[in-house]
Amino acid sequence: MRDAYQEQLDDLADALATMCARVAEAMEKATRSLLEVDLQLAEEVISEDVRVDEIRAAAEERAFALLALQAPVATDLRIVVSAIHGAGDIERMGDLALHVAQAARRRHPQPVLPDEVAPYFAEMGRVGVELAQKAGDVIRTRDLERAAELESDDDAMDDLHRHMFTVLMDRNWSHGVGPAVDITLLARFYERYADHAVAVARRIVYVVTGRMPGPLAV
Amino acid sequence: MPPAPLPQQLHELSELLGEMCTAAASALNRATTALLGSRERLAAQVVAGDAAIDALRARIEDLAGDALLFHAPVAGDLRAVVSAIRAADDIERMGDLALHIADVVRMRHPQPALPAEVRPAFAEMGRLATALALKAADVARSRNVLMAAELDTDDDEMDVLHQRMFEVLMDPAWPHGVPAAVDITLLARYYERFADHAVVVARETVYAVTGKEPDALPI
Repeated sequence: MRDAYQEQLDDLADALATMCARVAEAMEKATRSLLEVDLQLAEEVISEDVRVDEIRAAAEERAFALLALQAPVATDLRIVVSAIHGAGDIERMGDLALHVAQAARRRHPQPVLPDEVAPYFAEMGRVGVELAQKAGDVIRTRDLERAAELESDDDAMDDLHRHMFTVLMDRNWSHGVGPAVDITLLARFYERYADHAVAVARRIVYVVTGRMPGPLAV
Repeated sequence: MPPAPLPQQLHELSELLGEMCTAAASALNRATTALLGSRERLAAQVVAGDAAIDALRARIEDLAGDALLFHAPVAGDLRAVVSAIRAADDIERMGDLALHIADVVRMRHPQPALPAEVRPAFAEMGRLATALALKAADVARSRNVLMAAELDTDDDEMDVLHQRMFEVLMDPAWPHGVPAAVDITLLARYYERFADHAVVVARETVYAVTGKEPDALPI
C-alpha cells in the first residue's frame, strides 16, 4: 500500500502532467484558430488560460505542503524542487499559447498568415503539441528514452523557426512589414513553447539521474 | 563542514539574488551600448559573461537545496527559499535576453542593427530595463515590499515604448524594409521580456515577505 507521503508526491506529478495536457490542448486550439481564422476558438484559449494558472497555484501549494510537512531528502527533494521549476515552465507554455490566440484575435477577420507560410505554422503547432504531451508523459513515467525524444523534436522546431526567418528575409517576400512582424513574433512563441517543454523533461532527467543534461541552447 | 544556520543561509540567498540581478542589469546595459554603437567586442563580452550569471544561479540553487535539506524551513523561511529558486530562474532568463541582444549586434556587424531613427527609443528601453533590474536587485537584497510596487509602474512605461515601436514598424511609410523590421521586432520583445522578468523577481520577494501575491496587497 502506498503511504500518504508517496501519494502526495504522485499527486504533485499528476498536477504537473495535467498542466502539460492543458497547455498542449491550448496550443492545438490556438494553432487551429490561427490557421482557420476562428475567432471563437481563439477566445476559448484566451479565457481558459486562467485554468492552467489555477492548477499551477494548486501544484505549488502541494509542493509547499510537502516541503513543510515531510521535509523530503535526496531524490524526493529533487522531485519537489523540479516540480517548482516545472510548474513555472508549463505556465509559461500556456501564456505562449495564449499569445498565439491573441494574435489570431487581433487580426480577425483577416488571417494573420499568408497562405505560403501557413503549412510551417501547422507543423510548428504539431511539433509543439507533441512536445507538451511528451513532457507530460515524462513527468508521469520518468522514462529517460522518452525524455531524449524531446531533444530531437526540439531540433525540428528550431529548424522550422530558422526556416521561417529565411522566408521573411528573402527579397521575394511580398507581404510587407506588417505580416512579417506578426510572423516573427508567432514563430518565436512556438520556439519558446518548445524550449520550455524541453526544460521540463530535462529536470526529470535530473531527478532520475542526479545530473543535468547539457545546457539548453538559447 | 556543518551547514550554516538558516538565517545566515537566507541572508546569503538574498545577497546572491541581488548580485545576480545586478549582473543581469549590467549585461543588459552593455548589450544596449553595443547595440546603439554597433560595438562588436562589447557584444562578445556580454555573450561570454552570461556564463557567470548562470554560475550564480547554480550557487543559488545549491544553497537553496542545502537550506531545504538541512533546516527543513517552514512558513516565511520556506517561502524565502522557494521564491529564491523561482527568482533565480527569472534572472537567468534576463541574462539570456541580454545575450540575445548582443547576438543580434554580432550577427549584423559591421552594419548597425538599428536604423538611426529608432535608436533613441531603444536607448530609452535600455535605460528603463537596466533601472528595473537594479531596482529588482535592491528589492531582493533589502526585501523592501514598498519598493517592489514601484516596478509595476516602471514596467508600464516599458509596455508603452514597446507598443510605440510596433506602430513605427507598421507605418506604411516605414522605409527600412522587412529584415530591419524583423530584427527590431525581436529586439523590442527582448527588452519587454527582460522588464517583465525583473517585475516577477520583485513580486517573488513580496510573496516571500508577505505570503501574498502582490495583486492582493493594498499597495
